[in-house]
Amino acid sequence: MHADFPLPDVQWEPTRQFWAAAARGTLMIPRCDACGRYVWYPETPCRHCGAERLTWTEMSGRGRLFSWSVVHHAWIPQFADRLPLVTALVALEEEPAVRLVTYIVDCPLDRLHCDMPVRAVFRPLRYSGVAGEVVAPLFVPADG
Amino acid sequence: MRIDPSDWGFASELEDVGGAVAIVGIGDADYTKASGRTTQQIAAQATERALADAGLSAADIDGLMYIPFSGDQFDAAAFHGHFGTAHDVWVSEKGGGMVWAGSAPYEAALAIRSGRATCVLNTFSVAWATQRPQMVGGPGHVHAEDLYKQNLEVPFAWFPQPVYFANIARRHMYEFGTTPEQLGAIAVACRRHASLTPSAVMRHKPLSLEDYLRSPLIADPFRKEDCCLISDGGAAYIMTSLERARDLRQPVIAVLGVGVGNSRTGAYWSQQGAFTSTPQVFAAPGAFAMAGLNPADVDVLACYDPFTIVSLMQIEDMGFCRKGDGGPFVAGDRLHFDSGKLPYNTHGGMLSHAYVLGIAHVVEIVRQLRHDAAAQVADAAVAAYGGYTGPQASTLILGRH
Repeated sequence: MHADFPLPDVQWEPTRQFWAAAARGTLMIPRCDACGRYVWYPETPCRHCGAERLTWTEMSGRGRLFSWSVVHHAWIPQFADRLPLVTALVALEEEPAVRLVTYIVDCPLDRLHCDMPVRAVFRPLRYSGVAGEVVAPLFVPADG
Repeated sequence: MRIDPSDWGFASELEDVGGAVAIVGIGDADYTKASGRTTQQIAAQATERALADAGLSAADIDGLMYIPFSGDQFDAAAFHGHFGTAHDVWVSEKGGGMVWAGSAPYEAALAIRSGRATCVLNTFSVAWATQRPQMVGGPGHVHAEDLYKQNLEVPFAWFPQPVYFANIARRHMYEFGTTPEQLGAIAVACRRHASLTPSAVMRHKPLSLEDYLRSPLIADPFRKEDCCLISDGGAAYIMTSLERARDLRQPVIAVLGVGVGNSRTGAYWSQQGAFTSTPQVFAAPGAFAMAGLNPADVDVLACYDPFTIVSLMQIEDMGFCRKGDGGPFVAGDRLHFDSGKLPYNTHGGMLSHAYVLGIAHVVEIVRQLRHDAAAQVADAAVAAYGGYTGPQASTLILGRH
């Protein structure tokens, strides 16, 4: 595990541009130049057509809550301060087969429901015992 | 151009090995909480017991199967070191637990058919209860080391496995109306079986559906009872040709069918096209075709069950009920050993017997077919095991010959 675990290693090449985009307040996902499909998780060659070139593409940040769990137990100590936390999958509007792992925030627990429209907000992730912070795309109800 | 989510996996192409081999010896190591034992000590104990069960000696074993996985598995050096032997053995790393507890008989059958081995031992053991304090997220440790998970999942606490499968269970509830009571019915059946099984870790911890529903949520919709134990233990089984099996001491339990299915998204459950399915949809049809049987012919079923929802999905995906009907199907007593319906994980499974990743499930169904199990299913003649890792699933069908 790298030193800032469970924060991401923003220098790790395959996801470097995802985290750099988040720091600028945008959501970017790689898309295959040849077949036009999104490739998530980012990895070359394109898993759909085998082409080599992917281009990081700006997304609207809109999507639907695909699923989630309200977590009450800290499987690692760094999560303890955030409990209960809402860790979730968001299916993106442009390509619902791409599901972002994220947190749902600013949403009462009893409002959570599958396929609820959500939108991205960009906020710092911090964990106790870990120096620094990383800005990440989190999601809130689209009407919130 | 849109991604086609229905193209999410495929079946492995397998030769027909139906009736080629039999399981002639089974052995359980002691199943415990943290015990201070090593994986190799555990596997050695299971192997000694499997040899005694089969009436064979270590010198008779000329094939070894295991998986390079967690801790030191029982490889040729460990085998020879323990038994003081030095003969040549065929070795395959496509054995062990999980999906391979179900597909090892396929590899063994090919080796036996081609003369590379005559008598093959498959072992698997874990000491995760002992090792847990050193593991980041317990059994999630393997996943925490994956860099995609480290950089795209763990930062959002989508980790470890209980969280993945809680999300899957939530979605299954949304798509199909599955309820907590239905997931609870699986946990209750497994605990009842454990209460009847002397080797089960949870044999003295009864669980009613009311107890289950009162238990606090840990990763909604999961309670602790939806999740497998953390155990030390392991098991072993020995395979040989059907012909040779007839000369050995135990009833002949034949391998009738094997199937293997694969998910194109591997261990990245977040991206799996069919989020509420398992690769059993690709594994089971081939296994049943090889065996010339249907799910309705199965007298006792055991599935790799890290979470209640994984049991429910495999029961659907292996064809025991229609997709989405798993909730109502498992409710009530259907999974109980004495229901006359679909006796399931009759030793208690990973929820209540021990978390040894499926190898004990295969041992249990062999025991059922010998009519020698603790929670014995009357007249059991055909049994199936559903193996699972996420990236893959296997179906193994056994019959009393």
